[in-house]
Formats: sequence, C-alpha cells, structure tokens
Amino acid sequence: MATPAIYGLYDEPAAAQRACTALKRAGVEEREITVISSEPFEAFEFSQRDHSLLLFRLAGIGGLVGFVLAVLLVTGTARAWPIDVGGMPIVAWWPYLVIIFELTMLSAILTTVVSLLITARLPSRRKDMYDLVVSDGKILVGVPMTAGRPADAIRQALGAGGAVTIKTADFQN
Amino acid sequence: MSGPSSQPATGVPATMTEDLLRPLLKTSWSFYLLVAVLGSIVLLGVGAFAYQVNTGIGVWGLNWPVFWAFDITNFVFWIGISHAGTLISAILRLVNAGWRRPVTRCAEVITAFALMIGAMFPIVHLGRPWLFFWLMPYPTERQIWPNFRSPLVWDFFAISTYLTGSLLFLYLPTIPDFALVRDKTTGWRHKVYGVLALGWRGTTKQWHRLESAMQIMAIAIIPVAVSVHTIVSFDFSMAIVPMWHSTIFGPYFVAGAIFSGIAALIIAMAALRKFLHLEAYLHPVHFENLGKLLLMMSLLWGYFVFAERLTTWYGNESAEMSVFWATQRGAFAPLYWTMVVCNFVLPLSILSFRKFRTVLGCVIASCGVVVGMWLERFLIIVPTLSHKYLSYSWGSYRPRTPEILLLISTFGAMGLLYTLFSKFVPIISIWELKVGEQPELTQPHETPDVAATLWRTHP
Amino acid sequence: MVACHAENNIPTVGASEAARGRAMHWLRVERYWEGEFPDVRLKFRPVLCQQCDAAPCEPVCPTYASHHTDEGLNAQVYNRCIGTRYCANACSYNVRFFNFFNPVWEKPLHLQLNPDVSVREVGVMEKCTFCVQRIKAAEQQVKAENRELKDGELKPACAQSCPATAIVFGDLNDPESQVSRLAASGRGEKLLEDLGTRPNVTYLKQARA
Repeated sequence: MATPAIYGLYDEPAAAQRACTALKRAGVEEREITVISSEPFEAFEFSQRDHSLLLFRLAGIGGLVGFVLAVLLVTGTARAWPIDVGGMPIVAWWPYLVIIFELTMLSAILTTVVSLLITARLPSRRKDMYDLVVSDGKILVGVPMTAGRPADAIRQALGAGGAVTIKTADFQN
Repeated sequence: MSGPSSQPATGVPATMTEDLLRPLLKTSWSFYLLVAVLGSIVLLGVGAFAYQVNTGIGVWGLNWPVFWAFDITNFVFWIGISHAGTLISAILRLVNAGWRRPVTRCAEVITAFALMIGAMFPIVHLGRPWLFFWLMPYPTERQIWPNFRSPLVWDFFAISTYLTGSLLFLYLPTIPDFALVRDKTTGWRHKVYGVLALGWRGTTKQWHRLESAMQIMAIAIIPVAVSVHTIVSFDFSMAIVPMWHSTIFGPYFVAGAIFSGIAALIIAMAALRKFLHLEAYLHPVHFENLGKLLLMMSLLWGYFVFAERLTTWYGNESAEMSVFWATQRGAFAPLYWTMVVCNFVLPLSILSFRKFRTVLGCVIASCGVVVGMWLERFLIIVPTLSHKYLSYSWGSYRPRTPEILLLISTFGAMGLLYTLFSKFVPIISIWELKVGEQPELTQPHETPDVAATLWRTHP
Repeated sequence: MVACHAENNIPTVGASEAARGRAMHWLRVERYWEGEFPDVRLKFRPVLCQQCDAAPCEPVCPTYASHHTDEGLNAQVYNRCIGTRYCANACSYNVRFFNFFNPVWEKPLHLQLNPDVSVREVGVMEKCTFCVQRIKAAEQQVKAENRELKDGELKPACAQSCPATAIVFGDLNDPESQVSRLAASGRGEKLLEDLGTRPNVTYLKQARA
C-alpha cells in the first residue's frame, strides 16, 4: 500500500541538518524523518539517533554460542569414538583450544553479518523512500504524509534548510 | 613519480565517481587480451593438476624422505600473501589512519583471492584428493570424525573461518558502492548490481549498522588472521624434526606473512594505478607509507631469522646443525643467500632512503620480497625434510614440470581474479573515499540558529 | 627385506623410480662401512617402524589413519588415508612410505600376492605393521584351540626369514619371553631414544669380552 511522502534534496549535510531541526520544531517525530545519503555523515546530529550497541552485543552472544558448540563438538566426538594417537589424552585441551577459538570467531562473525542484514532490513525489494539523485551526492530528507499532517508546514520546514528541490512521491513505506 | 607529491595527500578530483566507475562501464581490447593470457596460464595449471590426479603424485618431484616441497611451499606462501588485507583494512581502520581509504579494497581483494588460491593446495597436495571432504566435521556412516588433534584439521577450521570472514569483510563495504553502480546503470548491469546491493538505500540507520558491523569485523578478523598463519606454522612446529620443532614459528610466520602481504599489495596497487589510470587516487604518499611498513617488516623478519639461527647455531645439536649448514653452506646455499638479499638487503637498501621510496622503488623492493618469501617457505620445508635424524635416510629434491606449472598458474590465477574483480567492482571504495573528503568541522556549526551538535570529527 | 616385500604385497617401484628415491622398503638394512681398505668392516642395521608408544606420526594424521591400537601397535588404516603425508614428515625414523603411483605387478608376479594383506592404491601411506595379518591369524588360531600363544610361535616375515636369527619378535608384556629378556639385558638400546617417542624396538649392542 503506497503512502505519499514529501522529501527535500540538499547539497550539503549542514542544510539537511537544518531541515531536520525545522521538521522537529514543526512537530514531526524523529523516527518518522528519513535521511538518506550516499555517504555517512557521522559529525551531524541526524546521524546519531540510530546509534546503538546492539550489533556489538549480538556479536558477543554469537561468539559465546560458537564457543559452547565448539566445546561440545570436540569433546563429544572425541569421547564418542575414543582413538589413541601418540599417547595423547582423548580430550586433549591444548590442541582443542585452537578449534574452539576458530569456531568462536566464526560464529561471532556470522552473527554480526546476519544481524546487520536483519537490522538494516537487507536484502530489500520494497519500494521504500529513495531518489536516484542520492547517488550524485544529494542528501534526501523525507517525511511520510500520514493523514492529518499539514503538507504546507512540512514543505516550509524542508525549505528552511535551503532545499534544492522538494518532491512528492508514493512509497511502500 | 619521484619526489614529494605536488598534490595534497587527500585531494581527489571532482570526477571521482566517473573515474572509479569507468573500468566497470568501459572495456578495452587490452582487457580481453589480459584475460585470455592469464586464463591460459591458469588452464595450464588445471591441466597439470588433472594429470596428477589421474596418474599419481609421482609425477611431481617428491620422494622419500622429502614428502612436501612445492605443494606446501605454495600453500604457506599464498596464505601468507593473504595477510595484506587484514593489516591494511582492519588494523589501519581501527587506528583511524586516513590514508588507508583508497587502499582498503585493493588489499581486501588480495586477501580473499590469495586465500582461495592457498586453500586449494591442501586439496591439491593430497594423495587421494577426491576424499578431501573427510576433513570436514560431519556425522558419517564411517563412524569417525576428523582428528581434532591434528594441525591439518586446525588448518581446515582456521582457513575456513578466515576465508568466510575475509569475504564478508570484503563484501560488506561494497554494498553502498554496488548501490551507486545500480543507480547509474541500466539494463543487465542495473539488475545484477541491484541484486548485489541488496536494496541498499543509505538511510542513517543502515549506515550506522554497516559501520558497526565493519568495526566488529575489523576487531574480529585481526586475531583470526594472526591465528591462521600461526596454525599454518604449527604444521611444521608440531613435528619433532630438526629445525621445525621451534617455538618461534608462530610469530615468525605471522611476521613473514604480513611482510609478503604488504609487498603483494604494493605490486597490485602499482599495477592498478598504471592500468586503470588511478594516479589521482593512489598517490606516491600511499606507496611511501606502505614502503615504510615494508621496511619495518623487513627488519622484523631479519630479527626473527637472526633469533632462530643464533639459537640453533649456539645449541650446536648435531641433527639441527646438519640442516643449518645445508642451508648456509651446502646444497641450498645459493637459494638461501638469494633469499637473504631479496628479503633483507634489497628492501633495506631501497626503502631506507626517502629518495628511493618512490612507486618504482617500492615495486622493485616488493618484487624482491615476493621472490624471497617464496624461497623462505621452500627453505623451511625441504632442507629439513632431506636432513632428518638418521643420515642413512637423507635425501634430496628436484622439482618437475607439473609442480612448476602449478606454481606459475597460481600467479596467473591471482592476476586473472584481480583483473576480473576490478572489471566488475570499483577497486577503490567510493563512499569511504568520500567520507575521507568530508571537511573536518572543529567549530560546532556555522549558522547560530541551527542546533546541530557535532560529536566527533573523522580522519 | 625380500621376505617383507613378499609377505606384505609391497610393490617394487622399478629402476627409474628407485633412482628418484621412491623405493618402498618397509624394512631397510642400513650398511655402514668403517675403516680403510684393506681393513674395512661392514656393519648392518635393520631399521623398521619402531611402533613408538608416543608416536609422532599419530596425532598429526587428520583422518585417524595412523593410530595406536590396544595391543600397542601403531596401526595404519589404508582406507582412511587421504595422503597428506604429514605422518611421514613427522616420523623421526623415516620409516613411512607413500604410494606415488598405483602399484603394478607384472605377470606372473601377481600370483604371489599375499591374500591376507590388502593391496594399497595410489596416494596411500604404508609402513611396517609387524605383520599384523600374522598376529591376527595367530590370535584367532589360539582362540579356536583354546590355548595361550607360545613364545616364538609367531614370527613376522623378517624374523622368520633371517638366517642369523638377528631379529627376535615376541610379547613385551610377558616378562619371560625372549624378547623381554633380551630388551632388559644391558646390551639393549633404542634408536633416537632422547626424542621421547618411546620406540618398542630394541637394538642389542655387540657383546664385548
């Protein structure tokens, strides 16, 4: 179901920042403002709101899970089919630490990538808010026009930043 | 090319996007020729391998007691080369070294492809290569699992982990660049790159998640890389054989790997700079910095070799000394001293002087290092195996044609994969370069009525 | 050596392969010349798999092809071997051999192959097994006959064929066996003992008056 949205295109991140501030003053919730760019602008406030340590925590958990599975693998299989090699103990911890380490890291890495894909909603085939000129370096700041939202106020707020263009389009958002 | 750069180190032309996308969109006849030549070299190697599988390992020069030679030398060599990407991408990313930006993807690509090539050799060197999958841990009706106490099984896990990690580390930052190509092309390119870009848009949330993921991957991939080559060194140091059973092998091999990796990176970058006309992006200062790193690694390599050989010589154990003299004065002496010149004398002479740390100077030093490091792996393996404890069973080794063909084809494969990659993916990370160009805002903001808070500047 | 080849289906690799250093002599007799002509003395030392208790070849095999049995033998399971050749590199005694090609027995030599021993294919490692096929056969025999194995009843091919009885085989766990008594005598020493491999083969020094 397509929702109409209004967005402005800006040349400079400072301009986009001004638009975001103006939109918030006009009463738009922060989470409804979408900012799209072809490079990250960490130095600006509009970039900071989505910061979270979620991926780091998930990677740690993934590593822990990998650790447990690795320990089970090496000790379980060694005990299930005990074979004497070179007089070493059946559960030989020094060599097994190598396998455990590798599987822990592999699990942490895979968890990170899967978490990234899920939280960034990739891969995505929906027609979400976007404009091709973003690839030319323009920054897009947009708001979905839910029922009752005054279009003029939004346009004015977007214009406050010195938008190059203001467009309206329908998105699947 | 020589002397200090006349353009600022971080300056990139305004035509950056067109320049970096041009190889993807325009193909010249020289590309097809290069692919044809490299492809035939690779096919030669494939043919040599097929011949060996069909007839037996006997077509190589291996014998009793030298059971490993070119095969494992190539394996360790290519896994070593693969440490380039990790050092540049991950370590420089973590210490926020801005000059890494044009270089990261070149380096990560070397890692991915060198790993793939190196990982072929544990399969290629097997007496019965069609059974290589027995190294994988899976429940089987044979009622047996791999021997987790064996260094070769550690190799399998380490290389699989590193390969997976490296490929993902390479792929993740290409997603925004694939989105860029998707937006600028039509037709089949638009579709293919659209799939590869996974529908990336560039929202602030997506950027933040991507950068978090890259940070985690960078932190994770460094210990994995260190462990991989340490585990490869364990293939040797776990055997109680003269001059293998040494505790120094772990750090020695990792240092050697980073050393050869940086050399390979310098060569790859110089080639890209020339063939893709990237002079505006790969500045002499990049080569100067990498040249300094190469110099440092050469000194480190020399330190490890000195420590190992002094300890051996001082201990004067008869079995170890027979291997020692075989390399220094005996049959392997010509190779040994060539290695010392290539790895130590040549890099030191060239890279110690700023005047010589030019693109050409670094490339010459790097070519020497690549040759020297291959010789180093060979000289670790073959002199020891031919001079073990019981002198009646000493032997010698001479390579034969199939092994030499395989070695040459690995270089061809690397060149081919690299050429194909730079044709289909921007070889310099466009968005990372753009971030590097963002002006450093040390003042809070320009206009007084905007409440923009600035959190941190970036390099 | 010939007896070993015959008993264990060890291929003769041919002159050119032997010149390449690929001869497969599970048991080799090393020859050492001492002194100058005409006072030359010749000494022989047969070297075979030492069946080490702490065998360096065993932990390194990725597929458990080389492992230790309950009886104390170092077993080589040909079917598990994928030919990494790590065991051969780890062996300090150089007593492991590799099938570089598929073995070929020209007719009529194929008729003398021992049916109790498998023929190994290309890419597989092999070594002296203390004629494990004879050990197994003897074990089954005495079990069927409900008695104990007598000392000296079971001999591997090398011990059986040596005219000077230079090779003695037996049960080291039995302190009364000839092997145990000889090993415990003051003349016994082991090859490369200080490496810690704990070999089970003892070499007897010549008794000096």
